[in-house]
Amino acid sequence: MSYFFQIVVSGVVVGSIYALAALGLVLVYKSSRVANFAHGQIIAAGAFITYFLTVTVGMPIFFAFLASMIITFFLAMSVERIFLRRLIGEPIISVIMVTIGLGSIIDGLIYLTPFGTENYSFPTFLPQAPLTLGGVSISWTQLVGVIITFLLIGGFSWFFKKSTVGISMRAVSDDQFGAMSVGISVPRVFGLAWATAGLSAAAAGCIIGNITGLNFDTLHSFGIIVFPVVILGGLDSILGAVVAGIIMGLIQQFASGYLDGNWGLNGTGDVMPYIILLIILLFKPHGLFGVHEIERV
Amino acid sequence: MSANKWLATGNFFTTYKQEQRTFLTNLDQSFFTFFLVILFGWPLLFELSNKSMLVIDNILIAIVAVMGLNLVTGFAGLISIGHAAFVGIGAYTVASFCRTIGDSHIIITHFWPLLIIFSGFMGAAFGAVVGLPALRLKHLYLAIATLSFQMIFQWVINFMSFFNQGQTIFVGRVFWFTGKVGRKDHYVFWYFVILTVVVILGFGIRNLLKTRYGRSLIAVRDNDRAADAMGMNPGLTKVYAFALSGFFAGVAGALHAYLYRGVGFESFTLHESIGYLAMAIVGGLGTLNGCFWGPVAIKFLDLKVESLAELAGQYLPSSMNLATALKPFTFGLVIVLFLMYEPRGIANWWRIAKSYTKMWPFRY
Repeated sequence: MSYFFQIVVSGVVVGSIYALAALGLVLVYKSSRVANFAHGQIIAAGAFITYFLTVTVGMPIFFAFLASMIITFFLAMSVERIFLRRLIGEPIISVIMVTIGLGSIIDGLIYLTPFGTENYSFPTFLPQAPLTLGGVSISWTQLVGVIITFLLIGGFSWFFKKSTVGISMRAVSDDQFGAMSVGISVPRVFGLAWATAGLSAAAAGCIIGNITGLNFDTLHSFGIIVFPVVILGGLDSILGAVVAGIIMGLIQQFASGYLDGNWGLNGTGDVMPYIILLIILLFKPHGLFGVHEIERV
Repeated sequence: MSANKWLATGNFFTTYKQEQRTFLTNLDQSFFTFFLVILFGWPLLFELSNKSMLVIDNILIAIVAVMGLNLVTGFAGLISIGHAAFVGIGAYTVASFCRTIGDSHIIITHFWPLLIIFSGFMGAAFGAVVGLPALRLKHLYLAIATLSFQMIFQWVINFMSFFNQGQTIFVGRVFWFTGKVGRKDHYVFWYFVILTVVVILGFGIRNLLKTRYGRSLIAVRDNDRAADAMGMNPGLTKVYAFALSGFFAGVAGALHAYLYRGVGFESFTLHESIGYLAMAIVGGLGTLNGCFWGPVAIKFLDLKVESLAELAGQYLPSSMNLATALKPFTFGLVIVLFLMYEPRGIANWWRIAKSYTKMWPFRY
């Protein structure tokens, strides 16, 4: 039984990371209808900037965390301003390919630095001994990571519910012409959506880096694995991203915990999200909490 | 029909039959024949090293694959981020024959043209199955569905011992009428084979686009409700577009397997899928000659970047691997620049050049 709870715990840990990583994708999609395939690279960039600031520059990790969030905030904003702004109204294939191309450019830039090929890990600042409760153990980094994740998600939800900028972002996602008519600058909101997505990506990158270690391949693979999450939750729902992230984490951990090794299966944790994704796309394409906008042929 | 058979000064079609001709003027036809003769003839006159021949063969295979992708993404407007997986299906069809009957069985060495066609049909079958979500999904959702097919394909190849866990599965040397194709002639031989396939399939697409089946693809891309109202079946058209693209990809995959004499997992990853998409876009989505420009441009870019990185690597500390950094960087940059400044791709430059020479000395 403790094996079961262990899997539940690690599923929630992985899932909350997915939720945070998916949040950025949802933010961008919600306001500007752009699926950002470069999200994984922004996550990696955020993590590496934090590492650079803590280890090479020597900042305390907390300030480095904040600083990298601010840097990616402006990075993502400028990406939107330079590249995506020109493509408003272009066909969806162009937009998808531009984000893929941007991801490729960031890939190249990261490969120029030593971060692209080698493994690093953040300096430890939390107790090493895991916390054990009734046979279920969780490491301090995981615990703190989950807590920070939920604080951030709570913060983002508050931001969207209460703040003026958040409300204007929701207005734009609801109806662009309506938003324009009440004086909201739609391009500015797009920029802000990208910026907040970059901010959340940096946070996700730091937390992932703390839990799994800094490896570029692992970090940017999160940019692809978030797609099953956001589809399950509904592409434009923040609540959906959180719920689906945790569901996906649980599914993944259960699959690798119970399926691997039986019937000659192996690595099912990696493929399960995509199988679930296909099933969802066939039966409930708008996801758990998404807006029903799918039209049938 | 224009009175002048050599230089058309405009469209003078009076019947649909005339419009459906393959070549508009005799000049076009003779240019094209001349071009084909050069393409088929030059390897007999010059001898290139195996390495450069491999590059050319590679470009031709990419052309076959990109034709398939252009059918589904360019002409039918359905985004596929899983094209490398279809190519992989073709290659692994050959590979699974090798696994079950041995890699130098007579079917593989003597009846390879049939096997290549069979691989194409396997690709088509998988294409039709993967295309089924297209009945319900559009745009981004469909793209993500094909993405998940790609990921599932990678997993299946990597974790099935039948497919050697993604390690190389060897394919035997083939026989031609003159006997076994040896190491020296291997790449030249496959150059001719792949070129023939490219010509056949290129004509296939060109003619397809003049029939109702090809035109229904474009109609469904532009507006599927209008196409429905015109009496086409958009759902069927979409599935059939995927099947057709799967056929092209399957053929490309089988050719790839034979050319490399082995099938390995790393040629069919998500990265390759994105590469095919980039080729289609750089060449020009929804154009036939874009299928030729795109692979040539992207593959040459790759080569040039590699040699540039090698050159620059001499002056840099050896710890920096410039090629791994520059390749994705330039690749991404080219995609982004093309989409921002020339979304219609190189095919558009071709069009401009063609109309300029046609109109010269007048501006229009």
